[in-house]
Amino acid sequence: MFLINLFVAFLVVIASIIPFLKPKGVGIIVFISIILGSALSGYFAVNSLIGSQIEFIFSGSQVTGPIPIRIDALSAWFIMIINFIFLTGGFYGIFYMKAYREQKSNIQLHGISFVLLYFALIGLCVVQNSIVFLILWEIMSISSMLLVIFDHNNPITFKAGINYLVQMHICVILLTIGFIWVYFQKGSFDFNAIPIFFAGNANIGLFLIFFIGFGFKAGFIPFHSWLPLAHPAGPSHVSGIMSGVMVKIGIFGIIRIASYLKSDLILLGEIVVTVSVLTGLFGILNAAVHRDFKRMLAYCTIENIGIIGIGIGIGMMGMGNGSPLLYYLGFGGALLHVLNHALFKSLLFYSAGSIYQQTHTRNIERLGGLIKFMPKTAIIFLIGAIAIGGIPPFNGFVSEFVIYSGLLEGMKSNSVSQLSLLILSFAGLSIIGGLSILTFTKTFGTIFLGNQREKLEHPPKEVSFSMLLPQYLIIAAMLSVAFFPKMYLNLVSNLLYKMSAPHLGFEPFGFNSYSTIASNISLFSAVFIGIAVIIWGLRYFVMRNKIQISQQTWGCGYVVPNTKMQYTAKSFSKPLGKILNFLLIEKKQFEEIKPGEIFPSKRNYVSNYFDFFEHRFISNITKRLVYTVNYFKFIQNGMIQSYVIYGIVFIVVIFVITALSIIK
Amino acid sequence: MLSFILIIIAGLFFSGIISRTKSIASGRKGPGIFQPLKDVVRLFKKGAIYSETTSFIFQIAPTIYFASIIMAMLIVPFGQSKGIISFNGDFVFFAYVLALGKFFNIISAMDTGSSFEGMGASREALYSMLAEPAFFILMGSFSLLTGHTSFQEIFAALHLGSTISYALATLATFVLVMVAMIENSRMPIDDPKTHLELTMIHEVMILDNSGFDLGLILTAGYLKFAVYGALIVNLFIGIVGYQYSIPLFFAIQFSMAVTIGLVESFMARFRMNHNAQFILVLSSVSFLIFFVVMLILGKFI
Repeated sequence: MFLINLFVAFLVVIASIIPFLKPKGVGIIVFISIILGSALSGYFAVNSLIGSQIEFIFSGSQVTGPIPIRIDALSAWFIMIINFIFLTGGFYGIFYMKAYREQKSNIQLHGISFVLLYFALIGLCVVQNSIVFLILWEIMSISSMLLVIFDHNNPITFKAGINYLVQMHICVILLTIGFIWVYFQKGSFDFNAIPIFFAGNANIGLFLIFFIGFGFKAGFIPFHSWLPLAHPAGPSHVSGIMSGVMVKIGIFGIIRIASYLKSDLILLGEIVVTVSVLTGLFGILNAAVHRDFKRMLAYCTIENIGIIGIGIGIGMMGMGNGSPLLYYLGFGGALLHVLNHALFKSLLFYSAGSIYQQTHTRNIERLGGLIKFMPKTAIIFLIGAIAIGGIPPFNGFVSEFVIYSGLLEGMKSNSVSQLSLLILSFAGLSIIGGLSILTFTKTFGTIFLGNQREKLEHPPKEVSFSMLLPQYLIIAAMLSVAFFPKMYLNLVSNLLYKMSAPHLGFEPFGFNSYSTIASNISLFSAVFIGIAVIIWGLRYFVMRNKIQISQQTWGCGYVVPNTKMQYTAKSFSKPLGKILNFLLIEKKQFEEIKPGEIFPSKRNYVSNYFDFFEHRFISNITKRLVYTVNYFKFIQNGMIQSYVIYGIVFIVVIFVITALSIIK
Repeated sequence: MLSFILIIIAGLFFSGIISRTKSIASGRKGPGIFQPLKDVVRLFKKGAIYSETTSFIFQIAPTIYFASIIMAMLIVPFGQSKGIISFNGDFVFFAYVLALGKFFNIISAMDTGSSFEGMGASREALYSMLAEPAFFILMGSFSLLTGHTSFQEIFAALHLGSTISYALATLATFVLVMVAMIENSRMPIDDPKTHLELTMIHEVMILDNSGFDLGLILTAGYLKFAVYGALIVNLFIGIVGYQYSIPLFFAIQFSMAVTIGLVESFMARFRMNHNAQFILVLSSVSFLIFFVVMLILGKFI
């Protein structure tokens, strides 16, 4: 109790001293505060992961009622992930922001928002009072928005920030509706009222409201459209943190609510699986065609949210079918993938940040051959790319394998609809895997391999060790998941056992055999590496005395190639874009040569891909909305006199209706 | 272990039989059955030329590609004898290990900075992605039919129920042969003997490889054929004794090679933009298998 008070007091102190610091000190103070914060929250989290749930109840105020702080294993899992990513992100951020030190107040605001975001995220994991939860949610949204618009002088960045803020408020409205619904039925803001609500009322409505509300944050389609705008706009460490952990708070909420469900689980599970498969496919398809590498990574986050969602859906179907193994495989795969994705996505964003810092462009068509200038960043990015494709020997495969196993296990069901859905998800997941190979070979190949496509103003060089260090730490964590999966799967199975204990009481019997398989897989991955090393040794042995010549790339007879002739990212993904042109909307801008134009002048050709949902639905809705709202523009006319009148009218109306006791 | 050895033996002859069939079908004298092997041995003895543009990725990629095929070979079972690696869900691992090899193959093509090799890389990535669901739906359906999730258990239990499963195995053969053709970039998806870089898929990706690396890539190709052949054999042998299954193995591998040779002799390749549709058809054949499995299990009532 005392520690938590200390925690909050500490936060206030930090936030209030940052404005008096020099830009150089801001980063260090922020980092130190995150170290202290994660030491404290980590202490509770480890205790609750190993032992039992930790609970404190604050008396709260009249409005909120008592405020329970419950650190159960699920919160602990997310707290640990948040801590790790914030520690690496905070450290990376200190050095990434070095170039912006002259913007003093901007840096200070950035630092305050960073700390606030961290504490809000930790708070969201542990607070189980609806009102405080919503307040924290709001702090999270606003602070992250402030982080995104660091470069607020750029209108695109600012617009992305506003777009994000608006969408997050739609999300808050839905969550508020959900919590108020529970409050009016059960008279309590405590989360414990939700399972009681579910026991007595229909489950579908409330769950779907929460699913959409949290889905906005997580980025399920069609509520994803803020991600590809906000992620490229923010500085890279912010994108890494937002993509790595902040969107996972949405997942956290969905899992939390799903664990309270009592009935209709199969139907809801099917809905979640369907939405998730579509989310995964949509995300990776867009990632495959986009050429802004941070936007590509943002779409890739949407894909991974889809994969996590498939796990959650299977887990819910397991709860509904009364199949413990399915519950463990589904939620277990989802939770492990949350960890894995947090690791490799932040890794990719940090290395993308290193590229951006050195080249000042996010357009991969302008890059190329960076492996020669930034070999370490290249290897880091390559490891991230292989891991995110779910390819062994890295950690992505472990969680995807658990989810695949869940899908196979789910096929023991008897219902045709479930079977068809599962086989489709099975195929969908395999397409997602195939597409992510296409996406990341394209991205890695274009950025790092071949020749430089354009001469950059400053020749790129490897980033400093301080920026590489957090990335090495993340790789170490990734390898620990890949090669010691049993430890993590045991943690997850304990967590799920505790989560199911109050309502379902599922035992993790069958799941242990899967964690054995997972550790066998890591053994086989080691065997694979061994085979590769042996072949490499053989190659070295055979080639040692042979002639090895360096020559120009074979140009099929053409002898004066230039770097512009290299295959581009656009052409790499063009065949895919062509097949799916109904989903991947391509807009071209160019001026055709007129019939009489004998000496054509210089022309530009621009081609961009647009988001299907944003382009076809959301923009249409907002257009209509703006059209309607235009009629009420006279209200906001900029004259103080009218605003005073509005105030007076409002007060009079309130007075009259209370006097006539229309409202009490 | 048995399957590993058998696949290597089959792999030695596979490519030779294909080219022999093609030469007989076109009335040429043609090279001997061991010519592909001799080519590889010759390549292993040669030095190498590397492009100035390439980095270490280009050097390690053939090794990793080859290692991925070896790893896949370890997973394939043979009738009642397990593969060296066998666990529940091993076919997922099988597909993903092959994907790792493909990943490196593709980026090594990008590494040359060539205007052609990226084209092949792009096509390879796209077509193998499109073929992926066919394999997964196929294995998922068999896993549903048998209630097992590892290669060996699925294949051993496949024919225990009814004889309809042989019809399924035939359909599955079609899918697997086609997947093998796509993975190895043969007709009707890709023509390995085409002489225009613009129309190649696999061949254009390895334009810059030479010497030992090229030898590794070619050997990997031969073995990959035999791996898919071995999977097809497994669809039929079930749990019959070795005295029948081993000759059957070679008979099926032989007839698969002859079929591929004949297809390549008498068929023109598809237009590049029709390939995607063709490959997706495979997924629908796999769905057909899935529905038949549902019928057999009496899930539609």
